[in-house]
Amino acid sequence: MDVETSATGGQPSPAPPSGGVAGAADGGWVTARPPQMLEVLQRIVCFPALCVEHRDLIRTSVRRELQARFTGTALGWFWPLLQPLLLFAVYYFIFTKLLGFKFGDALPEEQKSAFGIFMFVGVVMWASVAESLQRGCNVIVENGNLIKKLAFPSEVLPLNVVLVSLVTMLFAIGMFIVGTFTPVWITPGPMLLWLPLLVLIQGVFTLGLTLFLSALQVFLRDTLQVVTVVVTVWMFVTPLFWAPEVVGDPIEPYMGLVRANPMYHLVYAYRAVLMSSEPAFIFNESFGASVAIFSVWALVAFALGYGFFILCQRRFADEV
Amino acid sequence: MAADYALEVQGLSKAYRVYGGPMRRIVEAVTFGKKKGHHEFWALKDVSFNLKPGGALGLCGANGAGKSTLLKILAGTTAPTKGRFRMGGKVASLLELGAGFHLDFTGRANIFMNGIMMGFSRREIEAKLDEIIDFAELGEYIDEPVRTYSSGMGLRLGFSVAVSVDPDVLIIDEVFAVGDMYFQKKCIDRIYDFRQRGKTILFCSHSLYDIRQLCDEAIWLDHGDCKALGDSVEVTNEYTAFQRGHIHESAAEEMLGEYPSAADGRDPRKLPSIVDARIYRMGTDEEAYEVQTGDSIELRVWWRNPEPDKNPIHIGMGFLRQDTTTCAGTGTHFDGVQPQGESGCTVLRLPNLALLSGQFLVPILLLDKEGVHKYQEYLLPENLVVRTHTREVGLVRVEHEWLHADHPLPDRGSPAEPAGSVAGEGAQP
Repeated sequence: MDVETSATGGQPSPAPPSGGVAGAADGGWVTARPPQMLEVLQRIVCFPALCVEHRDLIRTSVRRELQARFTGTALGWFWPLLQPLLLFAVYYFIFTKLLGFKFGDALPEEQKSAFGIFMFVGVVMWASVAESLQRGCNVIVENGNLIKKLAFPSEVLPLNVVLVSLVTMLFAIGMFIVGTFTPVWITPGPMLLWLPLLVLIQGVFTLGLTLFLSALQVFLRDTLQVVTVVVTVWMFVTPLFWAPEVVGDPIEPYMGLVRANPMYHLVYAYRAVLMSSEPAFIFNESFGASVAIFSVWALVAFALGYGFFILCQRRFADEV
Repeated sequence: MAADYALEVQGLSKAYRVYGGPMRRIVEAVTFGKKKGHHEFWALKDVSFNLKPGGALGLCGANGAGKSTLLKILAGTTAPTKGRFRMGGKVASLLELGAGFHLDFTGRANIFMNGIMMGFSRREIEAKLDEIIDFAELGEYIDEPVRTYSSGMGLRLGFSVAVSVDPDVLIIDEVFAVGDMYFQKKCIDRIYDFRQRGKTILFCSHSLYDIRQLCDEAIWLDHGDCKALGDSVEVTNEYTAFQRGHIHESAAEEMLGEYPSAADGRDPRKLPSIVDARIYRMGTDEEAYEVQTGDSIELRVWWRNPEPDKNPIHIGMGFLRQDTTTCAGTGTHFDGVQPQGESGCTVLRLPNLALLSGQFLVPILLLDKEGVHKYQEYLLPENLVVRTHTREVGLVRVEHEWLHADHPLPDRGSPAEPAGSVAGEGAQP
């Protein structure tokens, strides 16, 4: 129970309040005062501390979620490995073998036929983000009973969704890397060492959006409908199935807009990390700039999303 | 400054917002609350109390009185709208048993999950695991999915996780009212044990017996207001008195509808009737409708009977509880007493009233010679409110006495009734 409790002696309870809904604690008092700006900022900054404090809860619920998804199925833990493998095979077969999509001059000779693999990388990353947003939207509402009956930091629920989607993605990326040992594609180089950073900033970005959406959904049940549409549109706007360099001149007037899309930078960074030791081979972007731009996006999204969540949090139990 | 109280509550109020529809909510959000799209429902209004460490406070009240809201605020799952509170130690709450159980996982896995949700570390739970499993009495079922459990097993598991917590303040909503007797006994024992160790308890129950037994103090909430706060026996008495009076109006209407009975075409003015009836303290002219168990009272009935030879009458009376259970009743025809004359006042003396706390309807029946036909059913204008200042339970007090005795254990082979050998502390009210 993480209601603000002043330990014996009546000392003011140490900030930040670690959970529950009551954001304001003065000398151990839990008051009706909504959280002030400073407290919100403090809690945003101290989010890592909250994760550490509740690491058991987070670990257990992520494991439970993953187990729940695969226990009872005959293949069990092979599924998260099998799914991306099948997807990988389909993309390779349709786009590379059947349709023979080419990059033109954008790729070195031996990689020209690999449009399917190019797409696969984007799709795996996107699937993870889309899953977080769509499932995360409902996570507070779905767990209304928990929120009403147990005092725990409810931000754990969206975090849980994001972590599960990241773990599923890592399974897929693992299988992708295994796939690169076959003659279909060349093995990734030392750029692969950047992967943990990409996963982290993707997680921060997605968590920010998910926190925002899950809180909004509590008050406005239309959110999920809007998100479903927006995610679909966003998927096509992001160069997952196309690349500006391949489209060429017609995209030129819109490149400002394309670059304004944070996912453009993330998908580029992933491809740079997973597809070659040569970073700038597909987009005319620098890897470092992409990572930096996306990181800024991620931090802003997290701060705003979590801030909104904190302000709404105290009313969750009354609304779900 | 030091925590003199385990729990201080000051002016706690809670309003739920009720919106007319989703569009109202959007309009309100867009106009930053200038155009109000909701009305407020106050589930809790200005409740204040203090609770010393080691104290136990019971919450009683009808459904929707705000009990659960108060517990939820104190447990920290919802925020107050006004007021503030402070806890002097670690708090654990039991608002629902097994909240968050995952049916596909084993009991053991759920112990961890549930405990961690309650704010324990994995290590703490591991340390208590044996104790938890032991208390839940699940045996080898502990490694079966919770889906396969009976509801009782699930409850036991939920309760045993929660009570293993060992907090300074324990908040319990009515969680074990659902289990069987054995389970309830175990829970109550555990809570008693808790009290013995000087922990603070906040307890909500519809069982006034449990509140009286477990708590020194009680609060009676009614529509969010704190109606009474104080000694648990007195507060529960007030509550029962109120609760039983609640049904009075509807019951009274029903009864008066039967009167007058002139269906047989005879002149109603010639029929016997009750003129008035009142309750007095025995031997005095002081009317009394609020009495205590053990008081002596008398019921006086004034009647008229224009044709006593043609229509001999009998008078009956009863004490009816809210649910129209007749708690006691008697009549002149049972005791062979015949009211004589064209009018009179018949008195029923009731020394040492045995009724326990509650509010009672007192109907008077005017009956024919055989005691079959009802000429009239007359309801006393006021209900009789009885208060009890002991902890006895039930409808009536039975004469009793506790003894220590050395009766030998009866021979099992003998067909005789087992002799009651009672041991206990002498307690005579």
